[in-house]
Amino acid sequence: MSSPSAPAVLRLEAASLATDLPGLIVQARRLASAVPGVHGRRRAGQGEDFWQFRDYRAEDGARHVDWRRSARGERLFVREREMQAAQAVHLWVDPSPGFAWSSAPDRWPAKAARAMLLAVALGMVVSRGGERVGALGGPGFRGASAPERLAEALITAQGWGQAAIDLEPAAPPSRGVVALFSDYYAPPELWRERLRRSSDRGAYGVLIAVIDPAEEDFPFRGRVRFRETGGDAETVFGRAEEARVAYRARLADHRAALRAMAEPLGFPLLLHRTDRPPASALAALVGVLAERDA
Amino acid sequence: MSLAGLHFAAPWALAALALLPLLWLILRAAPPAPRAQSFPPFRLLLGLRTADEAKAKAPLWLIILRMAILALAVIGFARPSLAPRGTAEEASGRVLIVVDDGWTLATHWSAVRSALQAAASDLEAGRGEAHLLLTAPAAEPRSPSEALTPGGLRGRAAQLEPQAWRPDRAEATRRLEAADLGDMDQVIWLSDGLASAGDSLFIRQLQRLGPVRVRIPDAGTRAVTEAVAGAEGVRVVAVRSSQASPEAAVSAETQEGRSLGVSTLRFEGGRGEALIALPPEIAVRTARVRLIGEDSAGAVRLLPEGASRPSVGLADPGGGAQPLLNELYYVERALQPFAALQRGPLATLIENRAQALVLPDASRLAPGDAQRLKSWLDNGGVLVRFAGPRLANDADDLTPVRLRVGTRALGSALSWEQPQTIAAFSPESPFAGLVPPPDVVVRRQVLAAPGAENEASVWAALQDGSPLVTAAPRGEGLIILFHVSAGPEWSDLPLSGLYVQMLRRVIALSGRAPGGGGEAVDAGSAPYRPVRLLDGFGSLREVRAGVDSVPAASFAAAVAGPLAPPGLYERAGLADAIDAAGPAETLEALALPAELRADRLELAQPRALAGGFLSLAAFLAALDLLVSLFLSGRFLALRAASCLVLLCLVGAPQNALAQSVHTQNALTQTIPAQTAQAKTPLAQTALVQTALAQTALAQTALAQTALAQTALVQTAFVQTAFSKTAFSKTAFSKTPFSKTGRALVGDPTLTVRLAYVVTGDAAADRQSREGLTVLSDALFDRTAVEPGPPIGVNLAGDELSVFPFIYWPAPERPQSLDPEALANLDRYLRLGGMLLVDTRDAERASNAAGPAATMLRGLDAPPLERVTEAHVVARSFYLLRGFPGRHPAPELWAETQSSAAARDGVASLFVGDGDWAAAWAGESGVPSRQRELALRFGVNLVMVALTGNYKADQVHVPALLERLGREGRP
Repeated sequence: MSSPSAPAVLRLEAASLATDLPGLIVQARRLASAVPGVHGRRRAGQGEDFWQFRDYRAEDGARHVDWRRSARGERLFVREREMQAAQAVHLWVDPSPGFAWSSAPDRWPAKAARAMLLAVALGMVVSRGGERVGALGGPGFRGASAPERLAEALITAQGWGQAAIDLEPAAPPSRGVVALFSDYYAPPELWRERLRRSSDRGAYGVLIAVIDPAEEDFPFRGRVRFRETGGDAETVFGRAEEARVAYRARLADHRAALRAMAEPLGFPLLLHRTDRPPASALAALVGVLAERDA
Repeated sequence: MSLAGLHFAAPWALAALALLPLLWLILRAAPPAPRAQSFPPFRLLLGLRTADEAKAKAPLWLIILRMAILALAVIGFARPSLAPRGTAEEASGRVLIVVDDGWTLATHWSAVRSALQAAASDLEAGRGEAHLLLTAPAAEPRSPSEALTPGGLRGRAAQLEPQAWRPDRAEATRRLEAADLGDMDQVIWLSDGLASAGDSLFIRQLQRLGPVRVRIPDAGTRAVTEAVAGAEGVRVVAVRSSQASPEAAVSAETQEGRSLGVSTLRFEGGRGEALIALPPEIAVRTARVRLIGEDSAGAVRLLPEGASRPSVGLADPGGGAQPLLNELYYVERALQPFAALQRGPLATLIENRAQALVLPDASRLAPGDAQRLKSWLDNGGVLVRFAGPRLANDADDLTPVRLRVGTRALGSALSWEQPQTIAAFSPESPFAGLVPPPDVVVRRQVLAAPGAENEASVWAALQDGSPLVTAAPRGEGLIILFHVSAGPEWSDLPLSGLYVQMLRRVIALSGRAPGGGGEAVDAGSAPYRPVRLLDGFGSLREVRAGVDSVPAASFAAAVAGPLAPPGLYERAGLADAIDAAGPAETLEALALPAELRADRLELAQPRALAGGFLSLAAFLAALDLLVSLFLSGRFLALRAASCLVLLCLVGAPQNALAQSVHTQNALTQTIPAQTAQAKTPLAQTALVQTALAQTALAQTALAQTALAQTALVQTAFVQTAFSKTAFSKTAFSKTPFSKTGRALVGDPTLTVRLAYVVTGDAAADRQSREGLTVLSDALFDRTAVEPGPPIGVNLAGDELSVFPFIYWPAPERPQSLDPEALANLDRYLRLGGMLLVDTRDAERASNAAGPAATMLRGLDAPPLERVTEAHVVARSFYLLRGFPGRHPAPELWAETQSSAAARDGVASLFVGDGDWAAAWAGESGVPSRQRELALRFGVNLVMVALTGNYKADQVHVPALLERLGREGRP
């Protein structure tokens, strides 16, 4: 697990993600299909899909009359379309080395891989609802090809491997919805700064903390030398199992602080362990977004 | 070095035990390395503390375990062994050691050696000296008066080998008396326990010298006294001493030691018989019979090759005929079981002293060969000839009767006669008693010249009285002629069993003249020369210098001894053998006086403990590895499979390790040990590699431990490396050697090249070259043949078969060819090459002895016919009416179609006098039209050489056209 050149490893990881892009898309599609979409505004408005016919009113222009429908009866009808707010959802996956890590690569994926899967699946669900999706700081995509282009943008645009742990997500466009995937081990103060800048511009969203089981359970025993992933700091524990309780307490504190900081700014925190199925996480994520949307 | 019964063969290795305290220090100072773990939420761990670091030092029990591993390995490498001593009292003071060093003790020789070594060790301790008496006689016996130090005794014991004959105690008694040793403190007699003449005197003599201890092997002795290869197999007779087991396995082996068959031999009393059932043709290949498990000269019976079988030579004319059409095939198959056959050129066979020769029809007798054959016959050889077309047309004088030219065909289309059966054999005939089967008929035969019938005795005749087999003596020898061919072309005889029986009887006649042929052999004086001799252990060895031949007179009665060492002998081409155990060999138990008690010869073997120590060390090292992994928290990460591999590793190389320790001193010995023991070096390498991978994985954990294990892996590595070297050597030795030969410019196997014979006459050679160059150009321009430049060949030295066409002009002074060139040319013509012999003498008056007669003298030339317009050479490319050269109308002769039947009627020899090369070369005086016609002839000839009779149907075109015309008309 020693990684003398974490950036190289990460680049490799990104490359493998990119080569398996079709696989990712398929997986995401399967995942997304099980989740009910964030659907339209359920009212008449600007849009492409048929919503309802209604009686002609005096203020409607003659060109709004649906003559084919009207010819069938005595009354004049106007075709209304469903309103489709072209709202954009911006996604961000933490590119730092620590995020691209798994305690047991043969049993569960790296956190970043799981995050990528969730992100693309979310992108699918969202684009199915007619909204635009895109990588944070990049353009939004819509239509059938949106998930693929999103995935490409997520993989290529982010500068994998060059990132330090405190790499900052680009500022979201105003009034956008933002989903940020990370492990959130950076100090909460740092995140407060980032999120405030977003919320100041009118954006809201959700924080998804993807967590490796080992990070939560701390299953280590015996003599262990812990090293910062992607960094050089080290510490040796003579009996690692003795540190478990203290570590878990610290982790809980950290999360509470994070939550307390983020919720008021309009960013609820979702937790997802990589050893759990991604479907539930996606459902929760979509639920939160839909709720915020309503 | 010995320590409390423990003996160390390499005590210096124990010095490494001094390292143990050092190991203690190192292990105490350095705890096992912690496991490295990358951890993203590292920030959250900062400032946390766990239990005391000091606790992480290696626990005491682990240190003790590792020191135990090292100690065990060091002790193992010092090669300890437990050596229990014999129960009897130890040798001390002045000791006389008597060894029965005949083949009777050879099987137990290792016991003899260790007994001598033990005695030497005892004497070393007691500062005694030894005298050594060997009871088997030797060419240069050493006197027992020589006093040996323990070291000297050890040296003698290491060199001592058993003799291939039995001890002679009477002679030993004389030597002992002559030595006059005085009183001894002890007499140790390593005896074979078998009775022989002079025993009682010998024992009394020993007892006079001092107290006697007799040591006799437990297992007794067995010997083969008789082995005969017969029709149903090899019959073996063996004897045994009373202690020997009542059953034995006997094996018939070839010269190379391959077993042909094995049988069980049961002793009844002291003697037993067995039959190794083998078909006769296999049985005759038996070169020796051996008692399995008995490593002594007496347990081997030699059956010298051909000793009981006549040596028959089959004169092979060479040339690759198809096997089933080969004349000799039937003879060879018939004689195989009854005679030692050799096949080759006549001269070689005579040189090899064949007793009988079979000469098929195809062989032409070279003048030198004929001379040799005659002298061989005069010396008593038996020549068996078969008739055939060649003999029918051109009989030489080596036949029993003068022969008529031509054959008598019976039952052919133009004959009234029916094929004849064979008449009953007359009582005087050597074939008397055989019954000719009624269905064997003769369709063709050669006949004796009129009036010559009485020159020879008729051994077999046809029903009408015409002779089938005639024989006549010549000098000491005999010529026998079968008037039919050796193959089934002329008669059914070769297909019948009668043929085998007749040939067998004929060959049996050669027995009357042993060693017939070659220089006359004076049976009285020529000695038997040893070829290979048996050593005491029963292996055949090269003859060492200083071994004399055995006079023929005493050979038959020779008893194995220093003057007649057992082994294979040869005299005048005949092989014979002297065996270690004579036919009357008896193995009676030695009668000891009542006061002497016989001890066992065999010492209890020391038990080597090195393997056990090293195995234990390796096992503990493996345990240590697992413990180290457990301590560093990696144990769970290890797969069960890799643990398994590790355990296999611990198991597998133990033997190899122990072995390499045993063969301590020699790298060279490691190679046979490796190849013999590890049949799958790959598997071992794989194991070692797995182990290395493991080691790399747990490198930090293992860093300070497992000295023994490193040694183990290294040993395995060394062995692998050696086996690799051995392999690559084998690979190198297989490098193909390049065929040496005269390099010709350009490769005639890639391009067609016309060739001319370099005659030595510069003008003729130049003309040949120029003529053929022009002809080659003409071929290039006009035909699909695109030849390279012509090439001059030397008939004697060059490989001719690569040239389709050879032009041979007569030089100014023609000379006959030497035998080598003749053979080469013969072969060329037989293979289907084309030779144009140009005598260039059309304008000279032709006389009987033209140049062609000189040039072709001795050649196996086929019959020739005049080439006419109807010959294929007149049609093959151009339609020609004549074959002009420098002369407008030369003669041209070619091999007859019937003679060339084997080559589909394509003539291989053309003889003419046109001086064609001159015409081709454009010599002045040749009209241009004539030159053009000469070139056309050349083109046609080359076409025939290359395409054979492909255009032969052109010859029949007029007839075909005429027939077509006739059929076209109503």
